[in-house]
Amino acid sequence: MSEVLAIRDLFLRFRGYSGVSEVLHGISLDIRAGERVALVGESGSGKSVTARIVLGLLQELPSAQVEGGLFFEGEDLNGLSRRQWQALRGTSISMIFQDPTSSLNPVFTIGTQFAEVLRRRDPKLSREAADERASTLLQSVSIHDHARVLGAYPFQLSGGMNQRVVIAMALANHPSLLIADEPGTALDVTVQAQTLKLMHELVEQSGTAVFFISHNLGVVREFADRVFVIYRGRIVEQGPTPAIFENPGHAYTRALMAAVPRITGGGLPDLNDSEAAFLEPMVVHEGGDA
Amino acid sequence: MSAVLRLLSRRLGISLIVLVGVSMLIFGIARVIPGDPARIALGPNATEEQVANLREALHLDDPVVVQYGHFVADLLRGDLGVSLYTNRPVTLDIAQFLPATLELVLFAGVLMVGIGLPLGMWSARYRGRWPDHLIRVVSLLGVSAPSFVWAVILMLLFAFFLPIFPIAGRITDSFEITRVTGFLLIDTLLARNGAAFFDALWHIFLPAFALAVSGIGQAARLTRANMVETYDRPYVEMAQAYGFSARRIAAKYAFKPSLIPSLTIIGLDFAAMLGNAFLVEAVFAWPGLSRYGVAVILRKDLNAIIGTVLIISATFLIVNLIVDLLIAFLNPRIRHSERGAS
Repeated sequence: MSEVLAIRDLFLRFRGYSGVSEVLHGISLDIRAGERVALVGESGSGKSVTARIVLGLLQELPSAQVEGGLFFEGEDLNGLSRRQWQALRGTSISMIFQDPTSSLNPVFTIGTQFAEVLRRRDPKLSREAADERASTLLQSVSIHDHARVLGAYPFQLSGGMNQRVVIAMALANHPSLLIADEPGTALDVTVQAQTLKLMHELVEQSGTAVFFISHNLGVVREFADRVFVIYRGRIVEQGPTPAIFENPGHAYTRALMAAVPRITGGGLPDLNDSEAAFLEPMVVHEGGDA
Repeated sequence: MSAVLRLLSRRLGISLIVLVGVSMLIFGIARVIPGDPARIALGPNATEEQVANLREALHLDDPVVVQYGHFVADLLRGDLGVSLYTNRPVTLDIAQFLPATLELVLFAGVLMVGIGLPLGMWSARYRGRWPDHLIRVVSLLGVSAPSFVWAVILMLLFAFFLPIFPIAGRITDSFEITRVTGFLLIDTLLARNGAAFFDALWHIFLPAFALAVSGIGQAARLTRANMVETYDRPYVEMAQAYGFSARRIAAKYAFKPSLIPSLTIIGLDFAAMLGNAFLVEAVFAWPGLSRYGVAVILRKDLNAIIGTVLIISATFLIVNLIVDLLIAFLNPRIRHSERGAS
């Protein structure tokens, strides 16, 4: 099996003062080596929590109950100790967040932060060697004045520059899975498009699988090989990207597509389907399930 | 680094203006206190003529503005006048008593930062769990009583009922230490007298701790509050996502950004200990500036009052200046303010 990530029947519940609320109602999802898989849905549908469960971050919250199968490269993640899980993060699995500038620490230079990331794989790496490797990596994301960037603080760089830095960091330790949680949503559309294209090229070269979380269907269509559509903690449709976009089977997927305003005009879209239809059973397109 | 230099010169200018303001204020107030300093100094048996002569010599019959002019002219020559209480130059008196007070306050400051910050860090790392609750209760307790109350409580507990620490003084009398800096912890080391050093350390610990208790509580609470806020920032989540250990995140990624807002207040607290030191010194019979300060106020010893207040204000300003520089050093946005966005 060449599955990098397999999620089987995953449930997530939060214990609160008013009782237990279920956020994920048994979702299953898989990503093969080198594959780019998108999880699409509106905010609050459970996309970001899924990403944080894969990293084991949510399990550390005392109020969260996580249940279900989690397999990374064939290994059962549920059996891992805290320390073993920590060892996976930043090495075999890495993550890119929504806003690059606020996800970099404001009081350390890029060089310092880059060295820390590289030392996750190579703990005895000297600062000089780290700077050298960081410079090469920055060149791969088309940053050519790398000496200035390494000596700079995040607030001294533009959002697009920080996004490139974050992409270079995420791929620095050759992860087999990259989780991208709405990458670049906080950036200008042009910068977002440039950096996504860059990320696309880099993961293709390195053969890194990507778990791409987004609400932006336009981006998903260009970026992903396969798409999972999530609605209120349930996967409602899944399949290869072309199949889903050409022939959306589920009412919610159709609504999601209709909700994107066209650049060619035609006014704001009407949403035809009722919410009841959104709760219909899952639609699976051929070739979608491994 | 020119941004830091500009900051330094601006802060020095402001400090100087504050110092001039303080000198005018205390000069005015000292002359409003009822009583004739010349009469108090010479005693009830002196003749009217003797008193008049002394008033003349002290320029006490001139208008206050002229008196202030004389005072500033002397001050610029490094002369704070003669104390009517000790009959010695005020500068000499201060040089004798100030080091004991400064040593006490600096040691208390080290305790405040050395205990308060780690407590706050620990509390934030385990926020919502029992170490957090424990630290919050203890630090609230520390903040809620003034330092002289702590001085009395600690003295009763650890010097009287459980005689672990000495009850008063700076050092056991049998040690003969040559005075170099006036700081006993330094002078004993300079004299290479280990036994005396530990004796001095043993004497300073309880009064310094009493002085520091509320500062420790304040520093812990402040650090915790700022760090808990920092824990919600995306860069902390990113550090977690990159697998850095909880300890490393607490001590580095979350601590340093939170230290900047805490530090200003901690600096003010530190400087405020100079005032509280007066009461703690009284409880522990610490031979510092407090005994001198109280004695000269009661005797309306004008020169000594003004000198003491000015020295304490200057120390306060210097501490604040150091804190500002430290913040500039820690906060890249200030250090690089000429380059990046404001």
